[in-house]
Amino acid sequence: MYTRKRYVLPFLLPGLAGILVFYIVPFIGGIWYSVTDGSYRNAFVGMQNYLNVWQNPMFRLGLGNTMFLSLICAPLLWLFSFVLSLLLNRIRPAGGFFRSSVLLPYLMPSSAVLIIWLLWFDFGGPVNRLLTALGLERVVWLEGTALRLPIILMFLWKNLGFCVVIFVAALQAIPEPLYEYATLEGATFRQQAFRITLPLIIPSAFLVFILAWINAFKIFKEVYFIGGAYPDEPVYTLQNYMNNMYAKLNYQNVTTAAYSFAVIVFALFGLLFFLQKRAQRGLN
Amino acid sequence: MHKNRGVKFALTCALLFVLALAMLLPMVQTFLYSFSSIEDMKAYMKTRGNYDDEVWMDSRLSPNMFSLGQYYQILITDNTVLHLFVNSVVYTLLILLGQALIIPAMAFALSKFRFPGRDGLFFIVILLMLLPFQVTMVPNVLTLRTMGLLNTRWSVVLPMWFAPFYIFLVRQFMVSLPGELIEASSIDGAGTVRTYVNIILPVCRPILGAAAALSFADCWNLVEQPLTYLTQADALQPLSTMFNQLAKENTGFEFAGAALYILPALFVYMFFQEDILSGIQLTEMK
Repeated sequence: MYTRKRYVLPFLLPGLAGILVFYIVPFIGGIWYSVTDGSYRNAFVGMQNYLNVWQNPMFRLGLGNTMFLSLICAPLLWLFSFVLSLLLNRIRPAGGFFRSSVLLPYLMPSSAVLIIWLLWFDFGGPVNRLLTALGLERVVWLEGTALRLPIILMFLWKNLGFCVVIFVAALQAIPEPLYEYATLEGATFRQQAFRITLPLIIPSAFLVFILAWINAFKIFKEVYFIGGAYPDEPVYTLQNYMNNMYAKLNYQNVTTAAYSFAVIVFALFGLLFFLQKRAQRGLN
Repeated sequence: MHKNRGVKFALTCALLFVLALAMLLPMVQTFLYSFSSIEDMKAYMKTRGNYDDEVWMDSRLSPNMFSLGQYYQILITDNTVLHLFVNSVVYTLLILLGQALIIPAMAFALSKFRFPGRDGLFFIVILLMLLPFQVTMVPNVLTLRTMGLLNTRWSVVLPMWFAPFYIFLVRQFMVSLPGELIEASSIDGAGTVRTYVNIILPVCRPILGAAAALSFADCWNLVEQPLTYLTQADALQPLSTMFNQLAKENTGFEFAGAALYILPALFVYMFFQEDILSGIQLTEMK
Protein backbone atom coordinates (compact mmCIF):
# COMPACT_ATOMS: atom_id res chain seq x y z
CA MET A 1 0.00 0.00 0.00
CA TYR A 2 1.39 3.39 -1.03
CA THR A 3 0.74 6.26 1.33
CA ARG A 4 2.57 9.17 -0.30
CA LYS A 5 -0.30 11.20 -1.72
CA ARG A 6 1.74 12.84 -4.44
CA TYR A 7 2.39 9.55 -6.21
CA VAL A 8 -1.24 8.68 -6.70
CA LEU A 9 -1.93 11.68 -8.93
CA PRO A 10 -0.64 10.38 -12.28
CA PHE A 11 -2.77 7.26 -11.88
CA LEU A 12 -5.84 8.91 -10.49
CA LEU A 13 -6.14 12.20 -12.35
CA PRO A 14 -6.98 11.10 -15.92
CA GLY A 15 -9.71 8.76 -14.76
CA LEU A 16 -11.02 11.16 -12.15
CA ALA A 17 -11.19 14.02 -14.65
CA GLY A 18 -13.17 11.92 -17.09
CA ILE A 19 -15.54 10.63 -14.45
CA LEU A 20 -16.11 14.18 -13.27
CA VAL A 21 -16.77 15.56 -16.75
CA PHE A 22 -18.87 12.73 -18.14
CA TYR A 23 -20.59 11.28 -15.07
CA ILE A 24 -20.53 13.31 -11.86
CA VAL A 25 -21.04 16.84 -13.25
CA PRO A 26 -23.81 15.67 -15.63
CA PHE A 27 -25.41 13.84 -12.75
CA ILE A 28 -25.53 17.01 -10.66
CA GLY A 29 -26.37 19.20 -13.66
CA GLY A 30 -29.24 16.89 -14.44
CA ILE A 31 -30.86 17.64 -11.10
CA TRP A 32 -30.97 21.31 -12.12
CA TYR A 33 -32.65 20.30 -15.37
CA SER A 34 -35.34 18.34 -13.64
CA VAL A 35 -36.44 21.29 -11.49
CA THR A 36 -36.45 24.07 -14.12
CA ASP A 37 -38.94 24.69 -16.90
CA GLY A 38 -36.59 24.81 -19.90
CA SER A 39 -37.97 28.10 -21.21
CA TYR A 40 -35.65 30.97 -22.18
CA ARG A 41 -35.71 32.21 -18.57
CA ASN A 42 -35.21 28.67 -17.28
CA ALA A 43 -37.28 29.40 -14.20
CA PHE A 44 -37.20 27.24 -11.12
CA VAL A 45 -40.38 25.17 -10.91
CA GLY A 46 -39.71 22.90 -7.95
CA MET A 47 -41.29 19.49 -8.24
CA GLN A 48 -43.63 20.49 -11.10
CA ASN A 49 -41.74 18.43 -13.70
CA TYR A 50 -41.92 15.39 -11.47
CA LEU A 51 -45.66 15.85 -11.03
CA ASN A 52 -46.13 16.18 -14.79
CA VAL A 53 -44.00 13.18 -15.67
CA TRP A 54 -45.56 10.96 -13.05
CA GLN A 55 -49.02 11.85 -14.37
CA ASN A 56 -47.99 11.05 -17.94
CA PRO A 57 -49.60 7.75 -19.00
CA MET A 58 -46.71 6.82 -21.32
CA PHE A 59 -44.18 7.30 -18.53
CA ARG A 60 -46.24 5.08 -16.25
CA LEU A 61 -46.62 2.50 -18.98
CA GLY A 62 -42.88 2.48 -19.63
CA LEU A 63 -41.95 2.35 -15.96
CA GLY A 64 -44.46 -0.42 -15.32
CA ASN A 65 -43.17 -2.50 -18.22
CA THR A 66 -39.53 -2.00 -17.31
CA MET A 67 -40.27 -3.01 -13.72
CA PHE A 68 -42.36 -5.97 -14.82
CA LEU A 69 -39.77 -7.25 -17.31
CA SER A 70 -36.91 -6.88 -14.86
CA LEU A 71 -38.88 -8.52 -12.05
CA ILE A 72 -39.32 -11.56 -14.28
CA CYS A 73 -35.93 -11.55 -15.94
CA ALA A 74 -33.61 -10.99 -12.99
CA PRO A 75 -34.92 -13.76 -10.67
CA LEU A 76 -35.26 -16.20 -13.58
CA LEU A 77 -31.73 -15.50 -14.73
CA TRP A 78 -30.44 -15.84 -11.19
CA LEU A 79 -32.20 -19.15 -10.61
CA PHE A 80 -31.21 -20.68 -13.96
CA SER A 81 -27.59 -19.72 -13.61
CA PHE A 82 -27.47 -20.98 -10.03
CA VAL A 83 -28.94 -24.38 -10.89
CA LEU A 84 -26.85 -24.75 -14.04
CA SER A 85 -23.63 -23.93 -12.24
CA LEU A 86 -24.49 -26.44 -9.50
CA LEU A 87 -25.02 -29.09 -12.16
CA LEU A 88 -21.82 -28.06 -13.87
CA ASN A 89 -19.97 -28.21 -10.57
CA ARG A 90 -21.27 -31.68 -9.89
CA ILE A 91 -19.88 -33.19 -13.06
CA ARG A 92 -16.58 -31.34 -12.83
CA PRO A 93 -14.12 -31.71 -14.57
CA ALA A 94 -16.45 -32.83 -17.37
CA GLY A 95 -18.74 -30.24 -18.99
CA GLY A 96 -16.03 -28.30 -20.79
CA PHE A 97 -18.18 -27.92 -23.88
CA PHE A 98 -20.97 -26.29 -21.89
CA ARG A 99 -18.55 -24.08 -20.00
CA SER A 100 -16.98 -22.83 -23.20
CA SER A 101 -20.20 -22.19 -25.12
CA VAL A 102 -22.38 -20.69 -22.40
CA LEU A 103 -20.60 -17.33 -22.37
CA LEU A 104 -20.47 -16.88 -26.14
CA PRO A 105 -23.94 -15.29 -26.47
CA TYR A 106 -22.84 -12.47 -24.13
CA LEU A 107 -20.52 -11.21 -26.86
CA MET A 108 -23.01 -11.55 -29.68
CA PRO A 109 -24.42 -8.29 -31.06
CA SER A 110 -28.20 -8.06 -30.53
CA SER A 111 -29.16 -6.99 -34.02
CA ALA A 112 -27.26 -9.83 -35.72
CA VAL A 113 -28.93 -12.48 -33.59
CA LEU A 114 -32.32 -10.88 -33.83
CA ILE A 115 -32.94 -11.97 -37.42
CA ILE A 116 -32.77 -15.60 -36.33
CA TRP A 117 -35.05 -14.83 -33.40
CA LEU A 118 -37.63 -13.25 -35.70
CA LEU A 119 -37.52 -16.33 -37.91
CA TRP A 120 -38.01 -18.73 -35.03
CA PHE A 121 -40.93 -16.84 -33.56
CA ASP A 122 -42.65 -16.16 -36.86
CA PHE A 123 -46.26 -17.29 -37.09
CA GLY A 124 -45.21 -20.05 -39.47
CA GLY A 125 -41.85 -20.62 -37.80
CA PRO A 126 -40.21 -23.43 -35.82
CA VAL A 127 -41.51 -22.40 -32.38
CA ASN A 128 -45.11 -22.58 -33.53
CA ARG A 129 -44.41 -25.86 -35.33
CA LEU A 130 -43.18 -27.22 -32.03
CA LEU A 131 -46.31 -25.97 -30.27
CA THR A 132 -48.65 -27.62 -32.80
CA ALA A 133 -46.59 -30.81 -32.59
CA LEU A 134 -47.33 -30.75 -28.85
CA GLY A 135 -51.00 -30.33 -29.65
CA LEU A 136 -51.23 -26.62 -28.81
CA GLU A 137 -52.51 -23.64 -30.74
CA ARG A 138 -50.25 -21.38 -32.78
CA VAL A 139 -49.38 -18.06 -31.15
CA VAL A 140 -48.74 -14.66 -32.75
CA TRP A 141 -45.44 -14.11 -30.97
CA LEU A 142 -44.30 -10.89 -32.57
CA GLU A 143 -47.20 -8.69 -31.46
CA GLY A 144 -48.77 -7.59 -28.22
CA THR A 145 -48.23 -9.28 -24.88
CA ALA A 146 -46.81 -12.46 -26.44
CA LEU A 147 -43.82 -10.44 -27.66
CA ARG A 148 -42.59 -10.33 -24.09
CA LEU A 149 -41.61 -13.98 -24.26
CA PRO A 150 -39.13 -13.78 -27.16
CA ILE A 151 -37.61 -10.71 -25.52
CA ILE A 152 -37.27 -12.40 -22.14
CA LEU A 153 -35.78 -15.50 -23.76
CA MET A 154 -33.26 -13.44 -25.65
CA PHE A 155 -32.27 -11.68 -22.45
CA LEU A 156 -31.78 -15.01 -20.67
CA TRP A 157 -29.86 -16.45 -23.61
CA LYS A 158 -27.51 -13.49 -23.71
CA ASN A 159 -26.85 -13.06 -20.00
CA LEU A 160 -26.84 -16.61 -18.70
CA GLY A 161 -23.15 -17.23 -19.37
CA PHE A 162 -21.78 -14.33 -17.39
CA CYS A 163 -23.81 -15.28 -14.33
CA VAL A 164 -22.83 -18.94 -14.62
CA VAL A 165 -19.16 -17.95 -14.77
CA ILE A 166 -19.41 -15.94 -11.54
CA PHE A 167 -21.28 -18.74 -9.78
CA VAL A 168 -18.87 -21.44 -10.97
CA ALA A 169 -15.94 -19.39 -9.72
CA ALA A 170 -17.54 -19.15 -6.28
CA LEU A 171 -18.51 -22.81 -6.19
CA GLN A 172 -14.98 -24.00 -6.85
CA ALA A 173 -13.88 -22.45 -3.58
CA ILE A 174 -16.17 -24.70 -1.52
CA PRO A 175 -14.36 -27.75 -0.11
CA GLU A 176 -15.58 -31.05 -1.58
CA PRO A 177 -15.75 -33.04 1.75
CA LEU A 178 -18.64 -30.83 2.84
CA TYR A 179 -20.82 -32.36 0.13
CA GLU A 180 -19.58 -35.89 0.75
CA TYR A 181 -20.57 -35.57 4.35
CA ALA A 182 -23.96 -34.11 3.43
CA THR A 183 -24.59 -36.94 0.97
CA LEU A 184 -23.70 -39.51 3.63
CA GLU A 185 -26.18 -37.84 5.94
CA GLY A 186 -28.80 -38.23 3.22
CA ALA A 187 -29.19 -34.62 2.11
CA THR A 188 -30.89 -34.25 -1.27
CA PHE A 189 -29.59 -32.12 -4.15
CA ARG A 190 -32.01 -29.34 -3.30
CA GLN A 191 -31.17 -29.39 0.39
CA GLN A 192 -27.47 -29.25 -0.41
CA ALA A 193 -28.01 -26.38 -2.83
CA PHE A 194 -29.95 -24.14 -0.48
CA ARG A 195 -28.61 -25.19 2.95
CA ILE A 196 -24.92 -25.63 2.19
CA THR A 197 -23.97 -24.00 -1.07
CA LEU A 198 -26.02 -20.82 -1.07
CA PRO A 199 -25.03 -19.59 2.41
CA LEU A 200 -21.37 -20.11 1.50
CA ILE A 201 -21.53 -18.03 -1.64
CA ILE A 202 -23.81 -15.20 -0.56
CA PRO A 203 -21.51 -12.39 -1.78
CA SER A 204 -21.30 -13.87 -5.28
CA ALA A 205 -24.98 -14.75 -5.33
CA PHE A 206 -25.74 -11.17 -4.39
CA LEU A 207 -23.45 -9.81 -7.08
CA VAL A 208 -25.08 -12.02 -9.72
CA PHE A 209 -28.49 -10.78 -8.68
CA ILE A 210 -27.39 -7.15 -8.87
CA LEU A 211 -25.77 -7.58 -12.28
CA ALA A 212 -28.79 -9.50 -13.54
CA TRP A 213 -31.02 -6.70 -12.38
CA ILE A 214 -28.87 -3.90 -13.81
CA ASN A 215 -28.93 -5.62 -17.17
CA ALA A 216 -32.64 -6.37 -16.94
CA PHE A 217 -33.32 -2.67 -16.34
CA LYS A 218 -31.47 -1.96 -19.55
CA ILE A 219 -33.61 -4.17 -21.79
CA PHE A 220 -34.14 -1.80 -24.67
CA LYS A 221 -32.03 -2.74 -27.66
CA GLU A 222 -34.10 -5.76 -28.60
CA VAL A 223 -37.37 -3.90 -28.10
CA TYR A 224 -36.09 -1.02 -30.17
CA PHE A 225 -34.95 -3.30 -32.97
CA ILE A 226 -38.24 -5.18 -33.12
CA GLY A 227 -40.69 -2.33 -32.56
CA GLY A 228 -38.78 0.87 -33.30
CA ALA A 229 -39.41 3.96 -31.20
CA TYR A 230 -43.08 3.10 -30.61
CA PRO A 231 -43.39 -0.65 -30.02
CA ASP A 232 -46.59 -2.38 -28.91
CA GLU A 233 -47.77 -1.25 -25.48
CA PRO A 234 -46.87 -4.43 -23.55
CA VAL A 235 -43.18 -3.96 -24.39
CA TYR A 236 -42.96 -0.14 -24.38
CA THR A 237 -40.09 0.38 -21.94
CA LEU A 238 -39.02 3.41 -19.94
CA GLN A 239 -36.05 3.79 -22.29
CA ASN A 240 -38.49 4.14 -25.19
CA TYR A 241 -40.21 6.95 -23.33
CA MET A 242 -36.97 8.74 -22.50
CA ASN A 243 -35.55 8.41 -26.01
CA ASN A 244 -38.78 9.66 -27.56
CA MET A 245 -38.82 12.65 -25.22
CA TYR A 246 -35.23 13.30 -26.25
CA ALA A 247 -36.19 13.16 -29.93
CA LYS A 248 -38.89 15.75 -29.19
CA LEU A 249 -36.25 17.94 -27.52
CA ASN A 250 -38.19 17.74 -24.27
CA TYR A 251 -35.03 17.58 -22.15
CA GLN A 252 -36.90 18.34 -18.94
CA ASN A 253 -39.00 15.22 -19.24
CA VAL A 254 -36.06 13.00 -20.18
CA THR A 255 -34.08 14.06 -17.16
CA THR A 256 -37.00 14.02 -14.76
CA ALA A 257 -37.98 10.52 -15.88
CA ALA A 258 -34.36 9.38 -15.64
CA TYR A 259 -34.00 10.74 -12.11
CA SER A 260 -37.26 9.21 -10.99
CA PHE A 261 -35.96 5.91 -12.29
CA ALA A 262 -32.52 6.39 -10.71
CA VAL A 263 -34.09 7.04 -7.32
CA ILE A 264 -36.12 3.83 -7.61
CA VAL A 265 -33.03 1.87 -8.69
CA PHE A 266 -30.92 3.22 -5.82
CA ALA A 267 -33.67 2.54 -3.30
CA LEU A 268 -34.03 -1.04 -4.53
CA PHE A 269 -30.32 -1.75 -4.50
CA GLY A 270 -29.93 -0.08 -1.13
CA LEU A 271 -32.62 -2.35 0.24
CA LEU A 272 -31.00 -5.42 -1.33
CA PHE A 273 -27.63 -4.45 0.07
CA PHE A 274 -29.13 -4.05 3.52
CA LEU A 275 -30.82 -7.47 3.27
CA GLN A 276 -27.58 -9.09 2.15
CA LYS A 277 -25.66 -7.64 5.09
CA ARG A 278 -28.32 -8.91 7.43
CA ALA A 279 -28.38 -12.36 5.86
CA GLN A 280 -24.64 -12.60 6.22
CA ARG A 281 -24.64 -11.45 9.81
CA GLY A 282 -27.39 -13.94 10.55
CA LEU A 283 -25.15 -16.74 9.33
CA ASN A 284 -22.14 -15.69 11.35
CA MET B 1 -26.10 -46.62 -4.98
CA HIS B 2 -22.94 -46.18 -7.00
CA LYS B 3 -24.76 -47.12 -10.18
CA ASN B 4 -27.40 -44.52 -9.41
CA ARG B 5 -24.73 -41.83 -9.28
CA GLY B 6 -23.40 -42.92 -12.64
CA VAL B 7 -26.82 -42.51 -14.22
CA LYS B 8 -27.24 -39.08 -12.66
CA PHE B 9 -23.83 -38.07 -13.90
CA ALA B 10 -24.64 -39.14 -17.45
CA LEU B 11 -28.02 -37.41 -17.36
CA THR B 12 -26.50 -34.14 -16.14
CA CYS B 13 -23.84 -34.29 -18.84
CA ALA B 14 -26.45 -34.95 -21.51
CA LEU B 15 -28.68 -32.12 -20.30
CA LEU B 16 -25.87 -29.58 -20.28
CA PHE B 17 -24.64 -30.81 -23.67
CA VAL B 18 -28.05 -30.35 -25.27
CA LEU B 19 -28.45 -26.93 -23.66
CA ALA B 20 -25.06 -25.84 -24.94
CA LEU B 21 -26.02 -26.94 -28.45
CA ALA B 22 -29.27 -24.98 -28.20
CA MET B 23 -27.35 -21.88 -27.11
CA LEU B 24 -25.02 -22.15 -30.08
CA LEU B 25 -27.80 -22.75 -32.58
CA PRO B 26 -28.50 -19.09 -33.48
CA MET B 27 -24.89 -18.58 -34.54
CA VAL B 28 -24.70 -21.90 -36.38
CA GLN B 29 -27.89 -21.17 -38.26
CA THR B 30 -26.68 -17.69 -39.20
CA PHE B 31 -23.51 -19.11 -40.72
CA LEU B 32 -25.38 -21.86 -42.56
CA TYR B 33 -27.93 -19.45 -44.01
CA SER B 34 -25.17 -17.09 -45.11
CA PHE B 35 -24.15 -19.65 -47.73
CA SER B 36 -27.49 -19.61 -49.45
CA SER B 37 -27.94 -17.63 -52.65
CA ILE B 38 -29.47 -14.15 -52.52
CA GLU B 39 -32.56 -15.04 -54.57
CA ASP B 40 -33.16 -18.10 -52.45
CA MET B 41 -32.91 -16.11 -49.22
CA LYS B 42 -35.15 -13.32 -50.52
CA ALA B 43 -37.82 -15.82 -51.45
CA TYR B 44 -37.49 -17.58 -48.11
CA MET B 45 -37.68 -14.40 -46.03
CA LYS B 46 -40.81 -13.37 -47.94
CA THR B 47 -42.65 -16.37 -46.52
CA ARG B 48 -42.46 -14.74 -43.08
CA GLY B 49 -45.36 -12.89 -41.51
CA ASN B 50 -48.07 -15.02 -43.12
CA TYR B 51 -50.93 -15.34 -40.68
CA ASP B 52 -52.84 -17.96 -42.67
CA ASP B 53 -53.50 -20.93 -40.40
CA GLU B 54 -52.80 -23.40 -43.21
CA VAL B 55 -49.44 -21.98 -44.26
CA TRP B 56 -46.07 -22.81 -42.75
CA MET B 57 -42.57 -21.61 -43.46
CA ASP B 58 -40.08 -24.19 -44.61
CA SER B 59 -38.05 -25.43 -41.68
CA ARG B 60 -34.55 -25.73 -42.92
CA LEU B 61 -31.23 -25.75 -41.19
CA SER B 62 -28.94 -25.50 -44.19
CA PRO B 63 -29.26 -23.85 -47.60
CA ASN B 64 -30.72 -25.76 -50.55
CA MET B 65 -27.70 -24.93 -52.61
CA PHE B 66 -24.28 -23.72 -51.55
CA SER B 67 -23.51 -20.22 -52.80
CA LEU B 68 -21.11 -17.41 -51.97
CA GLY B 69 -23.45 -14.87 -53.57
CA GLN B 70 -24.29 -13.09 -50.33
CA TYR B 71 -20.64 -12.64 -49.45
CA TYR B 72 -19.83 -11.47 -52.96
CA GLN B 73 -22.57 -8.88 -52.60
CA ILE B 74 -21.51 -7.42 -49.22
CA LEU B 75 -17.75 -7.63 -49.72
CA ILE B 76 -17.36 -6.65 -53.36
CA THR B 77 -20.46 -5.32 -55.12
CA ASP B 78 -22.07 -3.16 -52.45
CA ASN B 79 -19.97 -1.73 -49.65
CA THR B 80 -22.72 -0.43 -47.31
CA VAL B 81 -22.23 -3.22 -44.80
CA LEU B 82 -18.47 -3.03 -45.09
CA HIS B 83 -18.53 0.71 -44.42
CA LEU B 84 -20.64 0.23 -41.26
CA PHE B 85 -18.40 -2.63 -40.23
CA VAL B 86 -15.32 -0.41 -40.49
CA ASN B 87 -17.10 2.23 -38.39
CA SER B 88 -17.77 -0.34 -35.70
CA VAL B 89 -14.15 -1.47 -35.76
CA VAL B 90 -12.93 2.12 -35.40
CA TYR B 91 -15.23 2.77 -32.41
CA THR B 92 -14.22 -0.44 -30.73
CA LEU B 93 -10.49 0.13 -31.19
CA LEU B 94 -10.63 3.75 -30.02
CA ILE B 95 -12.69 2.87 -26.95
CA LEU B 96 -10.57 -0.13 -25.95
CA LEU B 97 -7.34 1.81 -26.40
CA GLY B 98 -8.50 4.65 -24.17
CA GLN B 99 -9.83 2.23 -21.59
CA ALA B 100 -6.52 0.37 -21.53
CA LEU B 101 -4.72 3.60 -20.65
CA ILE B 102 -7.19 4.92 -18.09
CA ILE B 103 -9.05 2.12 -16.36
CA PRO B 104 -6.22 -0.05 -14.92
CA ALA B 105 -4.42 3.10 -13.70
CA MET B 106 -7.56 4.33 -11.94
CA ALA B 107 -8.12 0.87 -10.47
CA PHE B 108 -4.52 0.83 -9.25
CA ALA B 109 -5.01 4.19 -7.56
CA LEU B 110 -8.22 3.01 -5.91
CA SER B 111 -6.75 -0.25 -4.62
CA LYS B 112 -3.09 0.18 -3.76
CA PHE B 113 -2.86 3.79 -2.59
CA ARG B 114 -4.10 5.32 0.60
CA PHE B 115 -5.42 8.85 0.20
CA PRO B 116 -8.29 10.81 1.70
CA GLY B 117 -11.61 10.25 -0.06
CA ARG B 118 -10.56 6.99 -1.67
CA ASP B 119 -13.39 4.89 -0.31
CA GLY B 120 -15.89 7.64 -1.00
CA LEU B 121 -14.71 7.80 -4.59
CA PHE B 122 -15.00 4.05 -5.00
CA PHE B 123 -18.52 4.19 -3.59
CA ILE B 124 -19.40 6.81 -6.21
CA VAL B 125 -17.99 4.53 -8.92
CA ILE B 126 -20.31 1.76 -7.72
CA LEU B 127 -23.30 4.11 -7.73
CA LEU B 128 -22.47 5.29 -11.24
CA MET B 129 -22.27 1.67 -12.34
CA LEU B 130 -25.92 1.21 -11.35
CA LEU B 131 -27.04 4.37 -13.14
CA PRO B 132 -29.05 4.03 -16.35
CA PHE B 133 -27.49 5.71 -19.39
CA GLN B 134 -30.37 8.20 -19.73
CA VAL B 135 -29.67 9.87 -16.37
CA THR B 136 -26.53 11.57 -17.63
CA MET B 137 -27.62 11.64 -21.27
CA VAL B 138 -29.00 15.17 -21.61
CA PRO B 139 -26.27 16.98 -19.64
CA ASN B 140 -23.71 14.98 -21.61
CA VAL B 141 -25.20 16.14 -24.90
CA LEU B 142 -24.72 19.73 -23.71
CA THR B 143 -21.15 19.11 -22.56
CA LEU B 144 -20.27 17.42 -25.83
CA ARG B 145 -21.89 20.19 -27.85
CA THR B 146 -19.93 22.82 -25.91
CA MET B 147 -16.74 20.91 -26.60
CA GLY B 148 -17.72 20.76 -30.27
CA LEU B 149 -17.75 16.99 -30.22
CA LEU B 150 -21.43 16.27 -30.79
CA ASN B 151 -22.02 14.38 -34.04
CA THR B 152 -18.37 13.34 -34.20
CA ARG B 153 -16.85 9.96 -33.36
CA TRP B 154 -15.47 11.29 -30.09
CA SER B 155 -18.92 11.88 -28.62
CA VAL B 156 -19.42 8.12 -28.55
CA VAL B 157 -15.84 7.24 -27.68
CA LEU B 158 -14.88 9.65 -24.87
CA PRO B 159 -17.54 8.87 -22.22
CA MET B 160 -16.92 5.14 -22.72
CA TRP B 161 -13.28 5.52 -21.67
CA PHE B 162 -14.36 5.98 -18.08
CA ALA B 163 -16.98 3.20 -17.89
CA PRO B 164 -17.46 2.64 -14.12
CA PHE B 165 -18.18 -1.10 -14.39
CA TYR B 166 -14.68 -1.90 -15.64
CA ILE B 167 -13.04 0.31 -13.01
CA PHE B 168 -14.98 -1.71 -10.45
CA LEU B 169 -14.04 -5.05 -12.01
CA VAL B 170 -10.30 -4.38 -12.28
CA ARG B 171 -10.16 -2.71 -8.86
CA GLN B 172 -11.72 -5.76 -7.22
CA PHE B 173 -8.99 -7.92 -8.73
CA MET B 174 -6.18 -5.60 -7.67
CA VAL B 175 -7.43 -5.39 -4.09
CA SER B 176 -6.86 -9.11 -3.68
CA LEU B 177 -3.22 -8.88 -4.84
CA PRO B 178 -0.87 -9.37 -1.87
CA GLY B 179 0.76 -6.21 -0.48
CA GLU B 180 4.13 -7.99 -0.46
CA LEU B 181 4.21 -7.61 -4.22
CA ILE B 182 4.49 -3.84 -3.87
CA GLU B 183 6.75 -3.93 -0.80
CA ALA B 184 9.21 -6.21 -2.55
CA SER B 185 9.37 -4.01 -5.60
CA SER B 186 9.75 -0.88 -3.45
CA ILE B 187 12.67 -2.46 -1.61
CA ASP B 188 14.24 -3.24 -4.94
CA GLY B 189 14.03 0.46 -5.70
CA ALA B 190 11.22 0.53 -8.24
CA GLY B 191 8.99 3.63 -8.22
CA THR B 192 5.22 3.54 -8.52
CA VAL B 193 5.21 3.79 -12.30
CA ARG B 194 7.72 0.97 -12.75
CA THR B 195 5.91 -1.21 -10.26
CA TYR B 196 2.66 -0.57 -12.10
CA VAL B 197 4.04 -1.32 -15.55
CA ASN B 198 6.39 -4.18 -14.74
CA ILE B 199 4.62 -5.93 -11.88
CA ILE B 200 0.97 -4.98 -11.46
CA LEU B 201 -0.11 -5.02 -15.11
CA PRO B 202 1.46 -8.42 -15.94
CA VAL B 203 -0.03 -9.98 -12.81
CA CYS B 204 -3.45 -8.59 -13.75
CA ARG B 205 -3.43 -10.17 -17.19
CA PRO B 206 -6.47 -12.41 -16.62
CA ILE B 207 -8.77 -9.64 -15.41
CA LEU B 208 -7.51 -7.21 -18.06
CA GLY B 209 -8.28 -9.83 -20.70
CA ALA B 210 -11.70 -10.45 -19.19
CA ALA B 211 -12.46 -6.72 -18.99
CA ALA B 212 -11.30 -6.21 -22.57
CA ALA B 213 -13.54 -9.01 -23.84
CA LEU B 214 -16.57 -7.79 -21.89
CA SER B 215 -15.96 -4.22 -22.96
CA PHE B 216 -15.62 -5.40 -26.54
CA ALA B 217 -19.09 -6.88 -26.21
CA ASP B 218 -20.38 -3.44 -25.18
CA CYS B 219 -18.58 -1.57 -27.97
CA TRP B 220 -19.64 -4.04 -30.62
CA ASN B 221 -23.25 -3.67 -29.54
CA LEU B 222 -23.45 0.12 -29.01
CA VAL B 223 -26.99 1.36 -29.57
CA GLU B 224 -28.06 4.10 -27.16
CA GLN B 225 -24.95 6.28 -27.52
CA PRO B 226 -24.88 6.57 -31.33
CA LEU B 227 -28.64 7.08 -31.36
CA THR B 228 -28.37 10.12 -29.06
CA TYR B 229 -24.96 11.58 -29.88
CA LEU B 230 -24.93 11.06 -33.65
CA THR B 231 -28.41 12.19 -34.66
CA GLN B 232 -27.03 14.32 -37.50
CA ALA B 233 -24.15 12.11 -38.59
CA ASP B 234 -25.56 9.09 -40.39
CA ALA B 235 -22.23 8.36 -42.06
CA LEU B 236 -20.70 7.73 -38.63
CA GLN B 237 -23.28 5.22 -37.42
CA PRO B 238 -21.88 1.82 -36.49
CA LEU B 239 -23.19 -1.54 -37.63
CA SER B 240 -25.02 -2.03 -34.32
CA THR B 241 -27.60 0.68 -35.00
CA MET B 242 -27.93 0.21 -38.76
CA PHE B 243 -27.81 -3.53 -39.27
CA ASN B 244 -31.39 -4.05 -38.21
CA GLN B 245 -32.59 -1.63 -40.87
CA LEU B 246 -30.65 -3.48 -43.55
CA ALA B 247 -32.17 -6.75 -42.41
CA LYS B 248 -35.67 -5.30 -42.56
CA GLU B 249 -35.28 -4.24 -46.18
CA ASN B 250 -35.15 -7.91 -47.22
CA THR B 251 -31.96 -7.51 -49.18
CA GLY B 252 -31.25 -11.23 -49.32
CA PHE B 253 -27.74 -10.81 -47.93
CA GLU B 254 -28.70 -10.20 -44.30
CA PHE B 255 -27.27 -13.50 -43.13
CA ALA B 256 -23.86 -12.94 -44.67
CA GLY B 257 -23.96 -9.51 -43.03
CA ALA B 258 -24.84 -11.07 -39.69
CA ALA B 259 -22.09 -13.66 -40.11
CA LEU B 260 -19.56 -10.94 -40.83
CA TYR B 261 -20.84 -9.03 -37.81
CA ILE B 262 -20.59 -12.07 -35.51
CA LEU B 263 -17.17 -13.24 -36.68
CA PRO B 264 -14.97 -10.72 -34.79
CA ALA B 265 -16.92 -11.41 -31.59
CA LEU B 266 -16.24 -15.10 -32.11
CA PHE B 267 -12.49 -14.50 -32.47
CA VAL B 268 -12.37 -12.23 -29.43
CA TYR B 269 -14.20 -14.86 -27.44
CA MET B 270 -11.90 -17.67 -28.47
CA PHE B 271 -8.84 -15.56 -27.73
CA PHE B 272 -9.93 -14.32 -24.29
CA GLN B 273 -12.02 -17.24 -23.09
CA GLU B 274 -9.47 -18.54 -20.58
CA ASP B 275 -8.88 -15.02 -19.26
CA ILE B 276 -12.56 -14.46 -18.63
CA LEU B 277 -12.91 -17.68 -16.68
CA SER B 278 -9.75 -17.29 -14.59
CA GLY B 279 -10.09 -13.51 -14.29
CA ILE B 280 -13.54 -13.75 -12.75
CA GLN B 281 -12.48 -16.65 -10.59
CA LEU B 282 -9.58 -14.75 -9.05
CA THR B 283 -11.53 -11.56 -8.49
CA GLU B 284 -12.87 -10.73 -5.09
CA MET B 285 -16.59 -10.50 -5.80
CA LYS B 286 -18.01 -8.59 -2.90
